[in-house]
Amino acid sequence: MAARLEESPAGNIEALYRPTHDERARQRAVSMLRKHAIIDLREAMRADYEARVAPALGGQGQPRGGWKAIEAAMCPRPSYRFYSTVRYNAQEMCYLAVQPAIERALPAMIDVARDLARRCPAGGSLTLDPGLAMPRYSQALDVHLTPGWVYREYVPDDVAQGAVVSFGGKVFTGQHPYRRNRGAVAESIGYWVRQRFPSLRPRRLLDIGTTSGGNLFPHVATFPEAEAHGIDISAPVLRFGHAIAQHAGLPVHFSQQNAERTSFPDGHFDLIVSSFFFHEIPLRSTRAVLRECHRLLAPGGVMVHMELPDEASMSDYGNFFWNWDTRNNNEPWYTAYREQDPLALCAGAGFGAADCFKLLIPDLQSFGADRYARFMRGEIAAPPHGGGGWFVFGAQKR
Amino acid sequence: MNDPHDPSAVMLPRQTKGKRPQFFDDPAIDQVMTFVVELATELAVVRTRLDTVERLLDEHGSVTRAAIDAYEAGPGVEAERDAWLAGYFRRVLRMHAGEAPGPIES
Repeated sequence: MAARLEESPAGNIEALYRPTHDERARQRAVSMLRKHAIIDLREAMRADYEARVAPALGGQGQPRGGWKAIEAAMCPRPSYRFYSTVRYNAQEMCYLAVQPAIERALPAMIDVARDLARRCPAGGSLTLDPGLAMPRYSQALDVHLTPGWVYREYVPDDVAQGAVVSFGGKVFTGQHPYRRNRGAVAESIGYWVRQRFPSLRPRRLLDIGTTSGGNLFPHVATFPEAEAHGIDISAPVLRFGHAIAQHAGLPVHFSQQNAERTSFPDGHFDLIVSSFFFHEIPLRSTRAVLRECHRLLAPGGVMVHMELPDEASMSDYGNFFWNWDTRNNNEPWYTAYREQDPLALCAGAGFGAADCFKLLIPDLQSFGADRYARFMRGEIAAPPHGGGGWFVFGAQKR
Repeated sequence: MNDPHDPSAVMLPRQTKGKRPQFFDDPAIDQVMTFVVELATELAVVRTRLDTVERLLDEHGSVTRAAIDAYEAGPGVEAERDAWLAGYFRRVLRMHAGEAPGPIES
């Protein structure tokens, strides 16, 4: 094995994953099953709500009792029950459909990751901290119904959960119109930052809760002058991401750290980003991470976090729909996070109230540069979150 | 045998840690829905395999298991298969009218 690795300067860890004909067929079917749940059954549920439930709650505009009343009224309805059960099962199947191929590839994947961690042919680094205290919430349950989530380790130098989350994620997004390309969020955020803060020239940038770097890598192309860092508390996803980066020739620095208190010095970064992160951690941790962002940013530096829209930015029905994941997708902090005003969270972390922002930005690829320019001039609005737009919040440090 | 450090012996967990929600009054219906959805997916796998066999026969006039397993569908074939899958799940998961409207045609 060692001889073969030396022949290839940077082994391709993803190419080691070789699902069989029938496994590929199953994955493709699961992607479509998920789409059926999230499009067709979701529309059927909404139509049921509008035709039969909203009138009983006093109208669609301001139903009595807000989203919780909608949830209580919808739970017994077949439209809700079948939407929920199909969506839940499809979610589980995204990961079940990739596990056998990962089990077969695991020994070779570990060899490649180990070799690349030692040599770092693309530059960059992988710094793990086996003594890092893992927050209790992070392993209390398997988020997104992923058995083992990002943290489980079965053997030394394990990458299995990195592969499960990454390849299972591809089944999950296989039929998603705006998430088929890994890194769509980072591409969009990077482009927006370039437009909105044209004088920002980051020396260093940081992606927090980076998992395997999918929404870190595009920033390397957008900000080639910056040293790129990604942190996460879980080693398997970092090892896997580091191997992908090395193969792609991206000099990214991955380190295993808790974003509530990192080892970086004050003012070390000019740009801090995250995506799909804060709703997975308790509110107390959210506040601590934002304070840490304030400490880590240099004056003039910017943080931009892509997140779920807050409750106040959404209709009651939208809140009922989005908060489904709290109990049913093992994301216990989801509702509590969405109850917060992101601007108040930023101000509470030390940022000036006038320097905080929250807005929808367009998805770059689907929106296109021409329309993006019109969006930046305020002539047109961004599409809704997850439907061609991304909700972001953040602040500039003075 | 059973070396805890042997990556070729790793069996990834198939069960998720966390409380499973119950969507129906009788939890047996939740379980049966898993059976139904898994069975529907298995049938889609068989249909895809049959499609591969037919395409290999069209092209080569013969078929082997090795050729089936090595078959890589191109973008055109994948698009045809996706269209079939979308219609398939709409048919198999057809909702009753009355309680909830059927899927909205796009």
